[in-house]
Amino acid sequence: MTHPAININCVSKIFGSGRKRNRVLHDISLAVSRGEVFGFLGPNGAGKSTTIKLLLHFLRPDSGSLRVLGHLVGQEEFRHRIGYLSEFPFFYDHLTARETLLLSGRLSGMNKASLQKRIPLLLERMNLSTAIDRLVGGFSKGMKQRLGMANSLIHDPELLIFDEPMSGLDPLGRHLIKGLIAELRSQGKTVFFSSHILSDIEDLCDRIGIIHRGRLLYYGGLAEFVAGGAHLEERFVEVIEEADHACPA
Amino acid sequence: MPALRNLWYLALATYIEGIRHKALWAIVCLAIVLTMANVFVAQLFTWDLGKVSVEFGLSAVSLTGLLLVFFLGMKIMADDLERNRISLIMSRPVAGWHYIVGKFFGLGVILLTAALILGGGAVLSMWYVTWQFPAYVPPQFSWLVYGMALGSQWLGLMMMLAVSMLCFSFASQPFVALLLAVSTYFLGQNMELLRRVVVENAHAGILIGQEKVVVALSWVFPNLSLFDKKAVAAYGLAFSGQEFGLLVLYCLTYSALLLFFAVQLFKRKELA
Repeated sequence: MTHPAININCVSKIFGSGRKRNRVLHDISLAVSRGEVFGFLGPNGAGKSTTIKLLLHFLRPDSGSLRVLGHLVGQEEFRHRIGYLSEFPFFYDHLTARETLLLSGRLSGMNKASLQKRIPLLLERMNLSTAIDRLVGGFSKGMKQRLGMANSLIHDPELLIFDEPMSGLDPLGRHLIKGLIAELRSQGKTVFFSSHILSDIEDLCDRIGIIHRGRLLYYGGLAEFVAGGAHLEERFVEVIEEADHACPA
Repeated sequence: MPALRNLWYLALATYIEGIRHKALWAIVCLAIVLTMANVFVAQLFTWDLGKVSVEFGLSAVSLTGLLLVFFLGMKIMADDLERNRISLIMSRPVAGWHYIVGKFFGLGVILLTAALILGGGAVLSMWYVTWQFPAYVPPQFSWLVYGMALGSQWLGLMMMLAVSMLCFSFASQPFVALLLAVSTYFLGQNMELLRRVVVENAHAGILIGQEKVVVALSWVFPNLSLFDKKAVAAYGLAFSGQEFGLLVLYCLTYSALLLFFAVQLFKRKELA
């Protein structure tokens, strides 16, 4: 039996306690099939990054369960099979790009010989080959974002989880990353990425989930969501406004 | 052996990050200048030139080590959390204890490197004193004891590093962790003195009758005064290999215990 790549089951998350208690996720449930590109949309503060952090076990759910590649998050090891790009990728400023990728690759269980071959190829793919032996502290935001992408791919994972992968990139950088995600899809990899840039979602995703104030408002095919020829942006705004009217802040 | 591999690479990355940090070299340069100035400062105390020189050199190592623990070690740890660099590590198959112990070893080797550089400077300045002013060298002065005193300074610093790791693992803010670590340092320096005052003195004021509490506290807090062997080296007092061995054992067990608690607390920490 093939498990879904991601299975989130009735997950809730609360931050703080007493007066500062803030429920940021309300019984979220969704599944991402293997080999699909899934877009996780929502306005700022909707709960996208929190969901991703729960998947990586950086945070613990207050209720519900999460499975990644069939493994129960927090109970079984699966992290060697996933690649993660954070919204703001920060690195050790005094390591070079090569050393950074070597560290990540070794921590993911790769051997040194295969890393020595893979690192220059990946950095070339990310237009960073001239910066391979430069300290990461001197990199621009866009360069760090591309290094973060290389970092998530270094161990050739089956599932990629990207948190706002296009943020801080110039049009060339965005084009590069979009091309890369399309390439990953053609290789049969599963990609789960959050974004609030709707055009990126429209170009890349098979299915989407829309989250707002911690509640999943829509989950299904992109084509079904924009049925009737509506633009994704119009439908997205419509769904968010409906939710706001139904349950004002 | 994935655990050993992870420990090695985390320690190596921490060491490289620290060793290329400008703050490290600024602190080390300052300490080298201090150690070299030692020769000239010591000459102001001609009657005690040798003793002042020994104390000055060992103090430079101790002060520099503390600055490195508080302002480099804890900064590296704080940056991992505040700048979310920790996600770079923890999104890989790395256990909490790999992270804490790997960081501890990496920072410990930075302290060792600094102690070796500064210890070398201190030894050079002391050698200059023995060469130029042999009459002022303490009669019982021993290079072996001097070396063991330097080693003891490093052991004390490793214990402070373990304290810092523990504070970092449960404090909500890096500043709070720093404050707790600095407070523990001052308590640790004076705990032995307090214990003696209370236990051996019948006129210990409000602490009369609290001997057991004070003794218990002296076991909880690190007894850092044990590692301060400046007077022993300066006055050529007895410092046996057995005593040094006990210090090593104390440092190892106490640090291991603190790291164990640090790992347990770190496992419960959410990386928001």
